[in-house]
Amino acid sequence: MGRTVSDTTAPAAGPAWSRPQRWDAPFGPDLTDGDVDRLLSRPEIAAIRADRFPAHASLREILRNDTRIVRLRAGDLVVREGDYGNSAFLVLVGKLRVVVAPELPSELLGRQQVHRRNWWQALAQLWRNRDIPEVRSARGTSRETARKDATGKAHRIFLQDIPAVLDRHKTALVAEGAIFGELAALGRVPRTATMFAETDAELLEIRWQGLRDIRRHDEGWRRMIDERYRTTALRSHLRATPLFAQLGEDAIELLTQHTLFETYGAFDWHVSYKQLQAERTGGAEHEPVIARQGDHPDGLLLIRAGFARVTTRLGNGERTLTYLGAGDVYGLAELHDSWRAGEAKPLETSLTAVGYVDLLRVPTHLLETHAFPHLEQTPRRFVTAAERPLAADGLLEWLVDERFINGQRAMLIDLDRCTRCDDCVRACASTHGGNPRFLRAGKTFDHWQVTHACMHCADPVCMIGCPTGAIHRAEHEGTVVINDDTCIGCGTCASSCPYENIVMTIIRDEAGHILRDQRDHEPIVKATKCDLCTSQPGGPACVRACPHEALQRVDFRDLSLLGKESHG
Amino acid sequence: MKPGIRRRSSPVRLLLGALLALAVPWWWARLRVEQLQNPAVLTGWWLFATMLFLAAFNARKKLSVIPLGSAAAWLRWHVVGGFLTLALFWLHTGSLWPSGLYEQVLAGLFYLLNLTGMIGWLLQRTYPRMLADTGNEIIFERIPAEIARLRADAEAAVMACVKATGAETLSRHYVETLHWFFCRPRFFASHAFLGSKQARAWVRQQCEPVRRYLGEAERAHLDRLAALAERKLDVDFHYFAQRLMKSWLLVHLPLAAVVVLLAVWHLALIHIYAL
Repeated sequence: MGRTVSDTTAPAAGPAWSRPQRWDAPFGPDLTDGDVDRLLSRPEIAAIRADRFPAHASLREILRNDTRIVRLRAGDLVVREGDYGNSAFLVLVGKLRVVVAPELPSELLGRQQVHRRNWWQALAQLWRNRDIPEVRSARGTSRETARKDATGKAHRIFLQDIPAVLDRHKTALVAEGAIFGELAALGRVPRTATMFAETDAELLEIRWQGLRDIRRHDEGWRRMIDERYRTTALRSHLRATPLFAQLGEDAIELLTQHTLFETYGAFDWHVSYKQLQAERTGGAEHEPVIARQGDHPDGLLLIRAGFARVTTRLGNGERTLTYLGAGDVYGLAELHDSWRAGEAKPLETSLTAVGYVDLLRVPTHLLETHAFPHLEQTPRRFVTAAERPLAADGLLEWLVDERFINGQRAMLIDLDRCTRCDDCVRACASTHGGNPRFLRAGKTFDHWQVTHACMHCADPVCMIGCPTGAIHRAEHEGTVVINDDTCIGCGTCASSCPYENIVMTIIRDEAGHILRDQRDHEPIVKATKCDLCTSQPGGPACVRACPHEALQRVDFRDLSLLGKESHG
Repeated sequence: MKPGIRRRSSPVRLLLGALLALAVPWWWARLRVEQLQNPAVLTGWWLFATMLFLAAFNARKKLSVIPLGSAAAWLRWHVVGGFLTLALFWLHTGSLWPSGLYEQVLAGLFYLLNLTGMIGWLLQRTYPRMLADTGNEIIFERIPAEIARLRADAEAAVMACVKATGAETLSRHYVETLHWFFCRPRFFASHAFLGSKQARAWVRQQCEPVRRYLGEAERAHLDRLAALAERKLDVDFHYFAQRLMKSWLLVHLPLAAVVVLLAVWHLALIHIYAL
C-alpha cells in the first residue's frame, strides 16, 4: 500500500518512505487476470486501440487498476439524479432502466424529506429534546432502505417494487454494451438521471482517472464522450453565457461544433489539498497553469466547473487578482483588444487551477466572426485589480489558498465583535438533539474566522463516493444534508471533506446506551454536520442566536462580499 | 478588502423607539397630573413592564429553538431599554434618590443593576478586538489543557538544555521563577485592566537577565522558553478576558432577579395600601 517504512540503514536520514504510486490502491482490488482478459474481449473494449497507450499506463493496467466489476440485484439503484460521482459505467450483463419522467420521489432514492417545523412544533422541542445527545429511535434506525449489493460488500439503496415504478414512471431501457455516467464523472457535475437494475446485472465501473486516460488515448471513446457532451449539455451552456446571448441558432450550432473541452488539476483535489496543508505550502506557484501571462490566447476560456485563480507576476511571486468560478470567462479583454487592433495582444494575467477546473475553449475566429460584432461593452480587465494596495491582498490570497471560496454558506465570525459567549453553539445544540453541528474554532485571518461548520460547497467533494447517497443536496436551496436513515457510518464523506467539517458521531438509544453492531460490537456511528437548520423555522439558529452580529453565513462567490473584481 | 458583513443596526430606529417609549408615559403622567391623579402608579407600571421586557432577553437566549427574533435585535433593545429604565425611574420617583428605606434599597440595587449592565456592555465592546489582536484564538474550556501543554513544552525545553549542555543554570532559573508562571493563569489585574504590559514586562525581566550566565547552546533553549512564555501570555489574556466577559453576567442576572422580585413586592404593597 501507499506508505511503507523501509528497512534501509541510511545514516541520520530518518525513516525512508516509498513514494506513493498511482495504482497503490486499485479501484477494484478483487479484479483477477481472468476478469481483465474477459473485459478485453468485450467488443466495446476490444475496439480500443491498445497500442496507442503508453507503456506506463497500458490499457490492461488501466482496466486492472482503474475499474471494478459491480454486481447488482434487480431493483438496486446505480446512480441517482443529483448525485455527484467520479466514475462511469459500462453494462456487461443485464438490463438497466433510466427514469425519464416523472422523477422518482425522494424517499425512494433514500433521501431525506425535509419538513420545516411550524412554530408550535419548534416550541415542542423544549420538552421533547432529551438530555442525552445523539439519540436515535428504534424506528429511525430500523428502516430498510439500503441493502448489501450482490457482492455482499457495498451498500446500495434499492427499489422494492419495480413493476410499480415501471408503471408510474416513464423509463428507457439501457441494454448490454451501453456506457453512461461519463459526463458527470469528467465534468464534475451532478448526475442528470436516476438508473436502476431491472434484472440482476453486472457493470464495469471505470473511475475518473481511467476514463480520462482512455478518452485521451482512444479516438473512438473521445469522439463518443465529446459528442454526447455536445448534444446534451454544451449547447444549453453556451446559450446561457451572456456573451452569446445575441447569437442565432446557426452561430450557436457552429460554436457547439468547435468548442474544445479541457480539464486541469486533480478530480480528487481534496487529497492533494490536505497534503499541501500538511506541508504548509500553497499559492499559485503550486497550481497547474492553464494560461500564462505574456502568452497569446488562442480562444476564450469558459469555466464550467471548479475554480481558477487569476494572477499577475509581482517581484518573485504571483499576485492573486481575483478568482473565477462556474460561468466566468477568461481572456475576453485580450481577445477583444486583438480583434479591434488587428494584431495579437498577449495575456495580461495568468490563470491557474485551484483544485480542479473543467473548461470550455471557444476558438478565437468564431468569436471574431459571431460574438465581438455584437459586444456592446468593452470587457473589464482583471489587471485593473492590481491597482489596489498590496496590503489589501491578504484576505483574498488567504481565502483562495485555503479554498474557502468553495463555500456557499460558510460560517464567518468577526472576532472583533465575537464575545466568545458560545450562544451560537448552545443554539445549535438545542436545535440538533443536544449536540452542536459545528465547532467554534477554525482558521483565522486578521479578525475573521472561518469555523468548522459545513460550508455547503459549490464543489461538494464530500458527496463523491457516498455508497448510499445519504449525503446529498436538498431539493430546495441546494443545502448539503445527510439522511440519517440511510447513512451507514462509513466515514467516506468525513474523510473527503477538505475542511474537516463533518464529524462521525456515536449514536445512542433512548436509555443513553451506545448502539453497537450486533456482529462486531463496534459502536455505530453516523455522519453529522451543519444542515443550516433546514427543518427549523427562522433559518440557522446560530445566526439568530448571536447577540453581537458577529456570526454570518456567507457565500464567498459573492463578488461584492470580497470586493472581487467583476468582469465581462 | 473586507468581507461585507451585513449589519442590521439602525440607530435612528432605536432612538425613535426609545423617545416614544419615554414620551408616552411622560405625556400620560402630565395628563393625570392635570386630572389631579397620581402619575406614579402609571409610571411605576410602565417602568415595571420595561424591566420585564429586559428580563425576557435571558429567556429569549434559552429559547433559541423558537423564532422569537434575532438575539442581536433583542440585545439592541435591551441596551436601549436599560437606559430607558433610568429615565423612567427618575420620572417615577421624581428624584435621583427616593426616601424610605425599602425604596432606597430598591433604588440602590436598581442603580447597581444598571451599572453592571453598562460594565458588561463596555467589556463586550472592548475585549473582543483585543483578543483578536493577539492573533491566537482559543476556546475557553480548552485553556487549562493548553496551559498544561505549554508547561510540558517548557519543562521539556529545560530538560533538553540540561541534557545537551550539562549546565543547570537554566533549570535552576526555571524552578525559581518561570515554573510559577507556567503553573496556571497569572497576572489577572494586568491582563484584565492594564493592557498586559506588566505581565509582558515580568516575562521579559525573567528571561533577559539570566542570558548573560548562559552559553551559546543554552541561549537557544532560553529563546524557546521565551517563545513559550509569550504564547502563555496570550493564553492568560484570553483566559482572563473571556472569564470577565462571561462572569459579569453572574452579577447582572441575580441582581436583575432580585430587583424584579423587590419591584413586585413594592407594587403589591402600593396596591394593598391603596385599597
